[in-house]
Amino acid sequence: MNGAAPALRTRATRAVLSLGVMAVVYGLAAEAGRGRLPDRVWLGTHYVENVQLLPPYRSLAEEGTFLVESGILTGSIAVSAGRVLLGFVLGAAAGILVGLWTGRRARAEYLAGPWVTFLQFTPALALLPLYVLWFGYGEISKVLLIATNVAVVALLGAHQGVRSVPRVYLDAASALGAGERLTFRKIVLPAALPHIFASLRIALGLAWVTIVVAELIDAQMPSLGYLLTLAGAYPRVPTMVIGIGTIGALVLAFDLLAMSLHVRATRWMRRAA
Amino acid sequence: MLGSASLAALVLAYTAISNAHVFRPEVVPPAQEIAVAFTELVVGTRPPPVTEDQQHAAHHHHHSSDHVGTLLQQGVTLQASLAITAARVLFGLLVGAPLGILLGILMGWSRRADDYLHPMYVLLRSVPPLALITYVMLWLGHGEAHRLIPIVYAVAATMVIPAYHGARDVAFTYLVAARALGAPRWLLIRKVLVPAASPAILGGFRYAVAIAWMTAVGAEMLMSENGMGNLIVGGGLWASRSQTKADPAVVMVGILALAAAGWAMDALARSAAARLTRWAR
Repeated sequence: MNGAAPALRTRATRAVLSLGVMAVVYGLAAEAGRGRLPDRVWLGTHYVENVQLLPPYRSLAEEGTFLVESGILTGSIAVSAGRVLLGFVLGAAAGILVGLWTGRRARAEYLAGPWVTFLQFTPALALLPLYVLWFGYGEISKVLLIATNVAVVALLGAHQGVRSVPRVYLDAASALGAGERLTFRKIVLPAALPHIFASLRIALGLAWVTIVVAELIDAQMPSLGYLLTLAGAYPRVPTMVIGIGTIGALVLAFDLLAMSLHVRATRWMRRAA
Repeated sequence: MLGSASLAALVLAYTAISNAHVFRPEVVPPAQEIAVAFTELVVGTRPPPVTEDQQHAAHHHHHSSDHVGTLLQQGVTLQASLAITAARVLFGLLVGAPLGILLGILMGWSRRADDYLHPMYVLLRSVPPLALITYVMLWLGHGEAHRLIPIVYAVAATMVIPAYHGARDVAFTYLVAARALGAPRWLLIRKVLVPAASPAILGGFRYAVAIAWMTAVGAEMLMSENGMGNLIVGGGLWASRSQTKADPAVVMVGILALAAAGWAMDALARSAAARLTRWAR
């Protein structure tokens, strides 16, 4: 466990090896599947001709260059990532603030308790038709849906974080004469940070789940959700695979970003491993 | 006390505001309309209008795209939809949880398995389950699979994490002691590893329950002719070219029912977890 260089190198080699094997197996399966996998697929109402169920790398590359050169993919990434980020920031800010408040003040917890429980068990996607009615088909519904989803998770994380601060710390601080504000800034907030970051990572994943559905409302082209829908409607499997892969890569990138922020923000803590 | 007071206050405030003609009833449905939609969806029939007042109300209702009427014509009831969705959620949990737990324990237990499998897991986990629906449909046709597979996948991906951490963080001394006492491998797994990892796994299971509900409803909203997601949007979003004609009263009935069902399932999971890990205290 002592991050020795050779151990790290073994891990890296194994990671590259396993991902490489996965990539090669896919390529071989795609080649082997050509001519063997069905080319015509019955879709409930009609046949679809010329489906590449496992598109080989060649068609993926062709489709990828087309999507990038036409600006569809890059535009979609920009639009969808922008919505996710905006909704995430709004939701996280609101959720963390309320969570810190309910964690610190028993009265706030009693007041907000039933609402939090209610929202916690409401599948956020179910709010979509309601938001469309209230806020229209435009940008607001999508961003607010993501924000709601993120806020609930962030709220629970912040609340638990505040609650997990050891009583002794608070007693020691007040015995030493620290005021409310100082205690909050120097003890409660730092101690709650790990919980908050853990919940934000979960929330980020949920935000990307939400966007796939939210972008079907008032679907317009530069957006990843609609790209997937269109690819599913034709259906064009290479586009589908590229869309799924792009969303996966974005989720991964955002997750790595969140994790590095987490490590940076909690660097002062001593780590076991 | 304060909690129930704030709950009651909001119900009252909502009733007052929704009846004050500040918003259009198609946007903020009056509380009694929600109650009517609820009863109609549970009973499964719409009582014939008797008085002139009710006739007027019914007429008004028809005016804003008759969501309840359409559902009733299709023979949809709230409890049947809830049962269908709950069945999908249960299937996802029953199939997905063991898969995820096995993978998590394997990666947490064996360093080598962790090195090889974790990169693949991270890559696969990043794909949002609902993005897979159309692709699964092409492979497996227009049946039940494209709704169930995303749920199974979401549950499995969620359960890997607590099982992994639970298995990895088994106190080293326990393992050394068990080995020194000559415990064979299967005994080590059954008597040390699984019990030590179970609190983390059961804790993670509560997340998986919530995620299973969300994925099930999302999948049903997109592509399904039954279940709660279908009840809420009144037909698959993809099929209807993304136009919803949802009646907010139905949506609210659906949300309340889903919240109650989610809460009940979580309470069940929590009490089961408390029972199963009683030895830990």
